[in-house]
Amino acid sequence: MSDPSSINGGTAVAMVGKDCVAIACDMRLGSQSLGVSNNFEKVFNYGHVYLGLTGLATDVLTVYEDFRMKTNLYKMSEDRDIEPESFANLVSSTLYQRRFGPWFVGPLVAGLNSKTGKPFICGFDFIGCIDFAKDFVVSGTATDQLYGMCESLYEPNLEPEDLFETISQALLNAADRDALSGWGAVVYVITKDKVVKRYLKSRQD
Amino acid sequence: MDAINVDINHLKKGEVSLGTSIMAVTFKDGVILGADSRTTTGTYIANRVTDKLTQIQDKIWCCRSGSAADTQAVADIVKYHLQMYKANNNGKSPSTKIAASIFQELCYNNKDNLSAGIICAGYDEKNGGEVYTIPLGGSLHQHEYAISGSGSVFIYGYCKKNYKPNMTKDETVNFIKTSLSQAIKWDGSSGGVIRMIVLTKSGIERLLFLPDEYVNA
Repeated sequence: MSDPSSINGGTAVAMVGKDCVAIACDMRLGSQSLGVSNNFEKVFNYGHVYLGLTGLATDVLTVYEDFRMKTNLYKMSEDRDIEPESFANLVSSTLYQRRFGPWFVGPLVAGLNSKTGKPFICGFDFIGCIDFAKDFVVSGTATDQLYGMCESLYEPNLEPEDLFETISQALLNAADRDALSGWGAVVYVITKDKVVKRYLKSRQD
Repeated sequence: MDAINVDINHLKKGEVSLGTSIMAVTFKDGVILGADSRTTTGTYIANRVTDKLTQIQDKIWCCRSGSAADTQAVADIVKYHLQMYKANNNGKSPSTKIAASIFQELCYNNKDNLSAGIICAGYDEKNGGEVYTIPLGGSLHQHEYAISGSGSVFIYGYCKKNYKPNMTKDETVNFIKTSLSQAIKWDGSSGGVIRMIVLTKSGIERLLFLPDEYVNA
């Protein structure tokens, strides 16, 4: 039986800009080499906090719903939406609770703190180790390619429009070198007053 | 309960695979070979502009799928044998059947050590266009058209329904373009550009189709 994190395929990336963050993912869901869906988005949101989830598709959906429950209960008890920093710690502890029977996912958190406006991103491994990054985080079957693209294309303090171009090129070109990623892409650019969601035209092979 | 397991990593560590969608189709004036251009190492796309259509003799070519190293080695050996045949037969060109037969001998006798799925196709004056397919075990099959490679499984139905004998060159090019477009779409191990070789009385023609042209074929 194959490695669970590379049966369905898929890729995601998040980056920090000037008073903004961006998070993006591809749209492929496959069964090893067979492509099954070109409509499987991997970025979700809970209020103003965005979560990217790659890995085993069934776990992507289950983990998304699990956090939906937890953030809804948080909202009822705190009477406010959860902030990115707090959500990140929630992700870490939730994953570690399943240390010896893990969810096969690669989560990414992105958002702006609603009080301070500070951009926040972080990534995790499948058992909850937090990677607090100042620049970019990557996840999925094209991580090696994404590291290369991000390391070379990234520069700090990009404006939202420029951040969009940078993260799009990083995602597209990394996914195009991965047999299990692609089939479309979606990019979210998050600023204080608005969130712009754009679908990218990409290779369909 | 046993599940159906597809071992996409049947190659040695580091070995490169021609994931692949390949086909060869006879038509009124000869034969056309077609292939995608993706080579993968596991899931990494090592080459996105590979040429999987290899010349063995003037008008005998082959489509390669499986291990890149194995198919290159086998094709080189067949090429050598055919050059020797030509030299020892007073410059007479070998027939497509002879080339396919040599492919078969190599693939069958070394079946335990090879991972090679080859389609051998050629044109000569006497027999017109011919297509021979040599799958993994080293058997030899002659057909009016043949499809092979990991992507071919998605187009068996389409090809069966849409192939017609004695098509024109343009009809055949469109048939191959549309078939490979679907194979490339569904198979993660196939992609890149579509390359074709047209073998007729007039000569050898190389064709190239980029994604924008074939994606909606």
